[in-house]
Amino acid sequence: MDLKKLWEKTLADVELQISKPNFLTWFQNSRLVEKNDDSGVVTIGVNNNFAKEWIQSKYHKMILEILRNFDSGVNRVEYVVLTGNVEEKIFSQPKNQPVNEVGQTGFAEFSADPETNLHPRYNFKSFVVGSSNELAYAAANAVSKEPGKKYNPLFVYGGTGLGKTHLIQAIGNEIMKNFKNRIRVKYVPSEKFVNDVVWAIRTRRMDDIKNKYRTIDVLIIDDIQFIGGKERSEEEFFHTFNILHQNNKQIILSSDRPPSQIPTLEERLRSRFEGGMIADITYPDYEMKLAIIKNKTQEKNLSLSDEVNHTIATKIQRNIREIEGIINKLFFYKEFKNCDIDVKTAEDIISATLQQNMVNINPQQVIKCVAEFFEINSQELMNKSRRKEVVLPRQIAMFLMRDMLGMSYPDIGDKLGKRDHTTAIHSYEKISKEIIKDKGLNQKIILVKETINKNPS
Amino acid sequence: MNVIVLKNNLKEGLSVISGARKESGNLPILRNFLLESNGGKLTLASTDLEIAITYSVSAKIIQEGSITLPYGVFSQIVNNLTSERVSIESKNNTLLITADNYKAKIATAPKEDFPIIPEIKNKKNNSCDFEIGFLTDSLSSVVTACQISDIRPELSGVYWSFKDNEVKLAATDSFRLSEKTIPSKKFESSFNKEFSCIIPLKTIQEVIRIFSSKNGDKVKIIFDTNQVSFESEHANLVSRLIEGKFPDYEPVIPKNFETEVILEKNDVTGALKLASSLSNRLNEVKFITDENKKNVNIFSSSQEFGESEYLIPAKIKGQNTKVTFNWKFVLDGLKNIKNNSIFFGFNGEEKASLIKSPDDASFLYIIMPIKSS
Repeated sequence: MDLKKLWEKTLADVELQISKPNFLTWFQNSRLVEKNDDSGVVTIGVNNNFAKEWIQSKYHKMILEILRNFDSGVNRVEYVVLTGNVEEKIFSQPKNQPVNEVGQTGFAEFSADPETNLHPRYNFKSFVVGSSNELAYAAANAVSKEPGKKYNPLFVYGGTGLGKTHLIQAIGNEIMKNFKNRIRVKYVPSEKFVNDVVWAIRTRRMDDIKNKYRTIDVLIIDDIQFIGGKERSEEEFFHTFNILHQNNKQIILSSDRPPSQIPTLEERLRSRFEGGMIADITYPDYEMKLAIIKNKTQEKNLSLSDEVNHTIATKIQRNIREIEGIINKLFFYKEFKNCDIDVKTAEDIISATLQQNMVNINPQQVIKCVAEFFEINSQELMNKSRRKEVVLPRQIAMFLMRDMLGMSYPDIGDKLGKRDHTTAIHSYEKISKEIIKDKGLNQKIILVKETINKNPS
Repeated sequence: MNVIVLKNNLKEGLSVISGARKESGNLPILRNFLLESNGGKLTLASTDLEIAITYSVSAKIIQEGSITLPYGVFSQIVNNLTSERVSIESKNNTLLITADNYKAKIATAPKEDFPIIPEIKNKKNNSCDFEIGFLTDSLSSVVTACQISDIRPELSGVYWSFKDNEVKLAATDSFRLSEKTIPSKKFESSFNKEFSCIIPLKTIQEVIRIFSSKNGDKVKIIFDTNQVSFESEHANLVSRLIEGKFPDYEPVIPKNFETEVILEKNDVTGALKLASSLSNRLNEVKFITDENKKNVNIFSSSQEFGESEYLIPAKIKGQNTKVTFNWKFVLDGLKNIKNNSIFFGFNGEEKASLIKSPDDASFLYIIMPIKSS
């Protein structure tokens, strides 16, 4: 007889013998935790210490007798207070709080699961798959089914706001769902890892760190590029990596660029990152953006007309996080003004938001960052040289001035060495076409953009 | 049982144990409390099966015994008695209360029907001793930030952590967080390793209520895997602990600030109270700093009634900022700072700000802003 059935039958008998209030108070949530067939000891888990004391002193005899009726092997009953090990309790996630996008903000860090550090919001279901991320998605899916066996380490890279964090956290959540508490998952932003190492050095507790990270079955580290150049952290991570990898523990990493392009990363780490599966996430196409918008609006119970969806999908070129921001703003607008959103208002809100982001960027900065990235002199971008090494960067600079700053073609031509506006038009169109075909170029432009955004004037 | 006891002693005992009874619920016996003679003392005990409080008062014991009786009825009688001394005598299932010109009979239930109050048997390496006043002060300073509802059970209590010879108390409702650090010289402990737990909000409130009037005495706190007990000379409180893991709040504490401001506490509390009368439904109050003007503008507006501004002289360092808070949350933080000078560290309108006393690092209050529309 299995334990659950045995206890159910026992409770049915107990219920007949004691009053209803007593039964409800003392036997609520009780269960049979363990039965040792050799010694005949049965362990019963009860709700709290009061119930334990009470049942022990009042109902012990009765329970023992009833249990014996069903199973003559029982000769002793012990009681324990149930703690968090009840399976359903472990997975009880915070009850859904009402979504209020405007108003009192909370500590964002707290919504993550304290044990795994994973945010329940991120799952595969809400991840929109398209041509730009299907490889990464397929790899992630395979990893979540058999962690540690295929694709180890899994290295996901792509620009900001494209869903790296979403994808790698979704792997963690999926593994937790598939394997329950048999597998220990931990999600760590690389900054936290570095902080832990610093703390350990300061308090001379290196062993704590070793224990903490080397007993994990699935280690997920976000934004691993930040570890580059921090020697002690790199070393500690190197050893952790080796131990986990040798024991077939899954390692999942994310970065904004492929391992080969993280400048300060040590060679031995680079080669290890490249030893598994490298998957990239690139910019979403129009259809995918539309799907994402529909998903997000559905989540918030907001319905937008097809025209508005179209406007958002075309106006927002790349970043998915921006799409989310826009939808939040529209949502607020709708709540606040209590009216439907037409294309005009959507356009206004989008352009207001996008301009806000650009406010600190000027053409000089674009030129400077492009020049630095391609390691040429910024003067060269502006003079008449038509050397190959200069032509492409110059075209990229023109493209970015148009794309990021929305400058007019004559103005762009003027800024880059008094060139004709047709040159600027040609450059913009050429690069726009190229980035769709040429992944490498696309990657370069993402990186340049990020440096521009990071160094406001 | 037959005892003679001073009315005021009884009254005090009844008030101490009042927090742990349950007037409604499945089990009617929980409306009763336990009255028991115990080596020259009279012990009163009550429980709601979450916490249990026992309290002993001095009395003249003529005949030993124990009984349980309904709290509501008995406390009404005691509170309205005019005479100083009360005689209590139990006979079969009734209790006889006799005072000058007064006599009453109440129905009782035997002690055997009353829940057994659990005791922590293991008393090795799991206790801390505090001076009562200091402990209740420390607890009061953090408890305001607790989550009142049980949306997230692990936040509906005070986090207690013993690490590196310090005790840290923390509480948060995920909108604000308070933390109090107690240095090793303020307590004695028998812990030999790191330890942490979450004590329910109600328990903390009861501890503060019961013990805060008893300055000078010592209280011993004993921790077990799923319960905790607070023991002093007269009173004893046992409670369950909250299961779950308190969030790792360390990353929430801001280390650097875009704007640093030092203000007088009285000015801020006054300003907030004034601003609150013209604030909106969300209790929004804006802090506007301007480095050149050497003052902070506390601004509030309500669509219905109008708006107000209050200028507080301040020392300001860093960039100009505008941050919106719930004024109640700010006031909660200020209340717990004893010093008259207050440090505000702002980090723009989206990140957490920090409030503390400029010369006391043991208490921190972190508060999230309201996203302004």
